Amino acid sequence: MKFVKQTFIPLILLAIIITPKLIAQDYYAYVAAESEDEVHLVHFNANTQNLEIAETIHVGRYPTEIDGPHGITVSPDGKNWFVSIAHGNPYGYLAKYSTETNELISTAELGMFPASMEISEATGLLYVVNFNLHGDMVPSTVSVIDPESMIRIVDVDTGIMPHGSRLSTDGRRQYHVSMMTDELIEINAQTLEVSRRLKLGKDAQKMNHEGMDHSKMDHSAMSGPNGSMPMHKPVEKPTWADPHPTKPFVYVAGNGSNELLEISTKDWQITRRFTTGKAPYNLEVSPNGKLVVVSYKGEGATGVWDIESGKELAKIPNTRRVSHGVAITPDSKYAFITVEGVGGEPGSVDVIDLNTLKNVDHVDTGKQAGGIYFWKQVK
Amino acid sequence: MKKSLIALLGMIFLGASQVYAQGTNELKIVVNPDPININVGEEIQINAKVVNADGVVQPDTVLFFSRSPRSLSVSREGYAKALKPGTSNVMVFKPAQGESPSIRTTIEVMVTYPKLEKLVFTESTSEMYEGTSFLTSTVIYDEMDFLRDDLEITDFRSSKPDVAQINRYGKINAKKPGKTTISATYDGITTSFDLRVEENPVRSVELSVDKESARTGDVLHLTAIAKDRKDREVEDAPIEYSFTSVPDDHRGQGASAQIEQDGRFVANHPGLYTIIARNAGSVDEVTVRIEPRNVGRDISVAGFGAVSDVYTSDLWVWEGVDGRDYAVTGTWSAKGDALFWDVTDPSNMHIIDTVTVDARTVNDVKVSEDGRIAVISREGASNRKNGLVILDVSDPSDVKILSRFDDGLSGGVHNVFIDKGYVYAINNGRKYDIINIKDPANPFRVSEFELDTPGHSVHDVWVVDGIAYSSNWTDGVVAVDVGGNATPDMPGAGGSPENPVKLGSYTYPSGWNHAAFPFKSKSADKFYIAAGDEAFPNGEAAGYIHFFDLSSWENGQEVARYEVPEAGTHNIWIQDDVMYVAYYQGGLRIVDVSGELMGNLYDQGREIARYLPKDPDGKIPNSPQAWGPQPYKDLIFVSDMNSGLWALKLSPPNTASAQ
Repeated sequence: MKFVKQTFIPLILLAIIITPKLIAQDYYAYVAAESEDEVHLVHFNANTQNLEIAETIHVGRYPTEIDGPHGITVSPDGKNWFVSIAHGNPYGYLAKYSTETNELISTAELGMFPASMEISEATGLLYVVNFNLHGDMVPSTVSVIDPESMIRIVDVDTGIMPHGSRLSTDGRRQYHVSMMTDELIEINAQTLEVSRRLKLGKDAQKMNHEGMDHSKMDHSAMSGPNGSMPMHKPVEKPTWADPHPTKPFVYVAGNGSNELLEISTKDWQITRRFTTGKAPYNLEVSPNGKLVVVSYKGEGATGVWDIESGKELAKIPNTRRVSHGVAITPDSKYAFITVEGVGGEPGSVDVIDLNTLKNVDHVDTGKQAGGIYFWKQVK
Repeated sequence: MKKSLIALLGMIFLGASQVYAQGTNELKIVVNPDPININVGEEIQINAKVVNADGVVQPDTVLFFSRSPRSLSVSREGYAKALKPGTSNVMVFKPAQGESPSIRTTIEVMVTYPKLEKLVFTESTSEMYEGTSFLTSTVIYDEMDFLRDDLEITDFRSSKPDVAQINRYGKINAKKPGKTTISATYDGITTSFDLRVEENPVRSVELSVDKESARTGDVLHLTAIAKDRKDREVEDAPIEYSFTSVPDDHRGQGASAQIEQDGRFVANHPGLYTIIARNAGSVDEVTVRIEPRNVGRDISVAGFGAVSDVYTSDLWVWEGVDGRDYAVTGTWSAKGDALFWDVTDPSNMHIIDTVTVDARTVNDVKVSEDGRIAVISREGASNRKNGLVILDVSDPSDVKILSRFDDGLSGGVHNVFIDKGYVYAINNGRKYDIINIKDPANPFRVSEFELDTPGHSVHDVWVVDGIAYSSNWTDGVVAVDVGGNATPDMPGAGGSPENPVKLGSYTYPSGWNHAAFPFKSKSADKFYIAAGDEAFPNGEAAGYIHFFDLSSWENGQEVARYEVPEAGTHNIWIQDDVMYVAYYQGGLRIVDVSGELMGNLYDQGREIARYLPKDPDGKIPNSPQAWGPQPYKDLIFVSDMNSGLWALKLSPPNTASAQ
């Protein structure tokens, strides 16, 4: 018995210590290739540091037209993935797939050029921005979908060219930006109404908007033809917003001003501005809350920022031009970056090790890799 | 050490139990009233509360959403108004509050149909001749004035069946002179009209046909004259047309002909047809011989330019300023190339230049009438600006980019057309912009045309004689005057490229309208629009060509179709009463569209030739996917997605190896 205690217990402890090294660490994410009408399931094996396409799923309705899968998300229970098909006749739609079979389950019509989206763990509803990228400069909407029944239950009026739909950790606040009005917009995910809007321009910050409820203001007299607002020339052109997982901050990519903005959701004002690489496009705060990873669309690179110090830890070149989406693994160890490419180039997914701050592998995808969302981590 | 290990394992199990303990909350939503039944137009407050497993009401708020807001409007507070009858679902949703998770339930609201109110004969007659028949038509409305087209009315009666009888389909047979009342009843609601049956003066019917022999697909016009005992015409005597047939091939052949009660007849198969005109007991008949159409011709490949590394899209073939023949083809989901070919010797067609633009797809390519300017469309530009590119193609072996135009065209240009110094560019599938390119280095927009229908979308535009014909999916083909030559029977509306004016639109139920080609028949006094579908209902291309007969811009009647059952249409071209259709997996179809059109041309022996373009070394080997046809000089050029550019040649007429 003594022998057993002396031998077996240390062996168990040793096994516990070395198990993480021996057990495979596999990460899976879904990636939309917008100019190929494909969604890829990518698999990264952390032990071998190898990224591969595990499966390719053709999406869209018209085999001889480009339907344009753009935004993608996975349900909190991991059972379904959803992709927004941006190019419609004229409206795009949301397609729901099974992660088990990668087969189409159902669709729901959305607005013009639907883009990024996420599902609230609190409400169970999916919030997708109707980017209306190519339409007239008129206010658009955030469509709220019941992902179970795939019924569009309400369209929430928002700004012009809304993008970057992300939810707070508690699922009660949805954040997106209005690219052409330079605004961060917060939706109460439960009442499905815009709760706050924040002008992101430096000049606008001098005005105190605190307490203003723009949703009840009559802006009609300010409108130009077709309801457009020609008086505002966007500067920041924000393209993404992501709330911090634990702290009352939202981080915004200022695509037009080459900035990373930090906004306090407590005070509802910009607390810090950081100059970034060219044309920051998407970003994500790491689940451990320490880093912000920003894709620099204009220079084919990815910036990794330390939130506490406000320093850019590294700017890592991507494997090709036109960096797009960011997804960070739940353990905050790796960032997956989609890169669109140009013309006939394939798209790609890069994997960045957030400890070494180096690109550890990449895989080619269909053309114009864009939307990306983490699915699961398997030990 | 042991204690530490046990503690560690314990923590692991504890963590697991917490995870699995989630989702055991037993809150539920209780709705009142339940069930909910209301009438159309009525309003009701739906109440809901959240209770726990013990039935204790929780202080949670709930929200209401209608899943069919066009039938049942519901405010978030649950105030509902029934707009249409039927069953509507309402989602009742409790957001997460504190530690309490979100829950939802769906309730059914039965909106009952309003009481039926009136029954109306929409087709009726006050007089009939003895021995004749008449088909009535009825509709029923409810108190909300909704048409109840879900109800079938079968209770028809005649007050004097010996005078006139009416069957369950509403068809009246006049038996003898006298008066009767014809009624229809549904669920206690009755409507009626008085009918007088008169002695039938008709003693004979004379039938004539404009041709005693014809070919399959030829439309025959019937004239029947009813005469009384003094041989005078009875102008108001109704005539019923029918036919019997003895097709040459009578071994299980399908429907052999089609006859309309307005006196048109067309046969699908050769044989003897006896056409009958009847008024009561007066009958006349004419027998006509229908011959095979015999339009089949052999088709051969005059040349092939393989494109195997990328998908090929549209084409344009033209005579260059140097007198040689050239073609340009686009590329699809590739790297933004437009390929320029010398096709003067089709057996040796070859690429002489390639223009690459920032795009993934160059979907459409067009060349100006003088052969000097080309316009190519851009989709999938890396900067998402897309738009179009204007080229100098006066030397197709050295094509130069003159300008790019993407102002307001960032959504991508899917199709373009050049006409008299203007480009018509499909803008983001929403409208088309008209761009002046008379100075091709400095293009500028002069106008745009956009429909105002809900959810409108446009796919293509083609300009002929100053009229722009756009293809608009559910909105069908829309004709717009952009400087048309007015004719007395089809007057324009004073439009111009700077001032496009809508003339008319021609829709059909499927909503698949993708292409359009207008043509004035060379052999019949007819003006047709051929409207092509594009659809992939089951993942495979489907759809057909619809033919609209336009008597005026406001009146277009769909009279015929060309439907290949196993394939789907893409682009079309019609020249000299011959239609060329790129029928995707069905290859190129060449169809005789001469004369008046009626019925399904596919069944009428009108197909002149077909060719399946396929290449074992193609992008997808041996897989025809014909994209666009263009007759040019004595050849037919076809672009095929999977193989490239083809030049085909028809044998002379009536020399087909097999008809």
